[in-house]
Amino acid sequence: MSTRTPQPNGAVARSLAQVGACGLFLLTLLAAIPRSFRHGRETIRQVWFVGAMSLTIIMVCGLFVGMVLMLQLYHVLSIFGGTSASGMVVALSVYRELGPVVTALLFAGRAGTSITAEIGLMRATDQIDAMEMMAVDPVAYVATPRFLAGLIAMPLLCCVFSAMAVFGGHLVGVTWLGIDNGTFWSNMTAVVDVHTDIVNGILLKSLAFGAVVSLIAVFQGFTTPPTSEGVAYATTRTVVASSIAILALDFVLTAFLM
Amino acid sequence: MTQSDRSPPDDSSLVKVRGLTTVLNGKTIFDALDLDIPRGKVTAIMGPSGTGKTTLLKHITGQMRADAGSIHVNGENVAQLSRERLFKLREGIGYLFQNSALLTDFDVFENVAFPLRQHTKLPEELIRNLVLMKLQAVGLRGAARLMPDELSGGMARRVALARAIVFDPMLILYDEPFVGLDPVALNQVLKLIRTLNQTLGITSVLVAHELAAVQQVADHVFLIANGKVVAQGDPRAIANDGSPWTRQFFGGGADGPVPFQYPAGDYAEALGFKGAGA
Repeated sequence: MSTRTPQPNGAVARSLAQVGACGLFLLTLLAAIPRSFRHGRETIRQVWFVGAMSLTIIMVCGLFVGMVLMLQLYHVLSIFGGTSASGMVVALSVYRELGPVVTALLFAGRAGTSITAEIGLMRATDQIDAMEMMAVDPVAYVATPRFLAGLIAMPLLCCVFSAMAVFGGHLVGVTWLGIDNGTFWSNMTAVVDVHTDIVNGILLKSLAFGAVVSLIAVFQGFTTPPTSEGVAYATTRTVVASSIAILALDFVLTAFLM
Repeated sequence: MTQSDRSPPDDSSLVKVRGLTTVLNGKTIFDALDLDIPRGKVTAIMGPSGTGKTTLLKHITGQMRADAGSIHVNGENVAQLSRERLFKLREGIGYLFQNSALLTDFDVFENVAFPLRQHTKLPEELIRNLVLMKLQAVGLRGAARLMPDELSGGMARRVALARAIVFDPMLILYDEPFVGLDPVALNQVLKLIRTLNQTLGITSVLVAHELAAVQQVADHVFLIANGKVVAQGDPRAIANDGSPWTRQFFGGGADGPVPFQYPAGDYAEALGFKGAGA
């Protein structure tokens, strides 16, 4: 119909309507995946854009998170004479929680916002309508490649973040505070479990977070009002909704995976 | 899609609009509108701002659904087409957007090549030649490697026109094609619309306000107001048909059936003067 869809009254009802619309949009995205395979180059371009272009911020933040974590742990554990375990605790914290969560929050801020703004501006300047008019499905050409790119890039970025955090912990713990290098690595390798910590922690969580952040970013871009204010609000909503979704989903996943 | 794939011109009208009714935000845009776009002709849609000219183009291309009525394009009811069939139909329709709508990630060449790359598996050499031919036609072959943000408004419009005709469509819809063009570019675009129509037999529909330009290029004009066709005919004669609509619209008069003010409440009351003298 040409009339606008009536909006429900009340903030809660509007939020629920947004969640419902986002769920329907996810179905559209998933249905468009087979059609998007013919735009493989666009997907690769987006992996470069949201993944490789986010490497600097991910690496720098990972390094500092690991360094701060080691400083705090060393201070606390030294009270109990357990500083030799600090490397192990850094690794477990990063693999299970901090790695996926902080990477996803950074990803939402760096890549999610740019995806929303880019698609929103494409809508505001009729580029999405132009694609429709050229018989090119914008969901398959614009939305799905960005969604898939987020799905691919997030676990990779999370691996890089975690590696840099462990390196940061090593830098502070071993090089600066004098923890024995052998103790640092042997305690870590003895406790870290590939399935529980790497697969469930880094891979599974970051895949889930990547899907959620990419979905929210693409959805907000596609549904933004075609105005400069609309794009600004949509970009803000991407960060806010992604942050809440990441932390809530982290609790749910942790509860199920522990 | 090639010209031969399309159904034969068994009807003189390529686009048939019947009983089109559209209500947007409580305002009636079209009220049982009927019109026929003749095949192989240049038809102009004119009317006051906000009268729904662009909306009509969106209905024809299936971008918007009407509340009632039907639109048949080349014999197919647009509202009843599946998405696949609608996309197939659109491959035969070129659309020139008001703001050009060029893809900002691509340069001029890639913008024009975009539909070819998406719908054909033509060799790169052939795509290159087709794109250069279309760019030559709009006078912008030398701008092939410029990005959209390096183009003036008129140049962007001509690039969009090259993109719209890259498939040699059966129907081209021009949404305000003359806005922002200098006299040289305007004449070139007029000539191009005419040439495309005469040499390829492309049916053209243009939404415009410039009567002088329309008189040079169009075969038939529809004047739309109040949701209906209020006048139609030869563009060189319509301005003098004597109806109050055409007299006011083409004469630019402030008084007449075309309201200048958007519907609103009492002016004095809005300014707080109601009852001030009592």
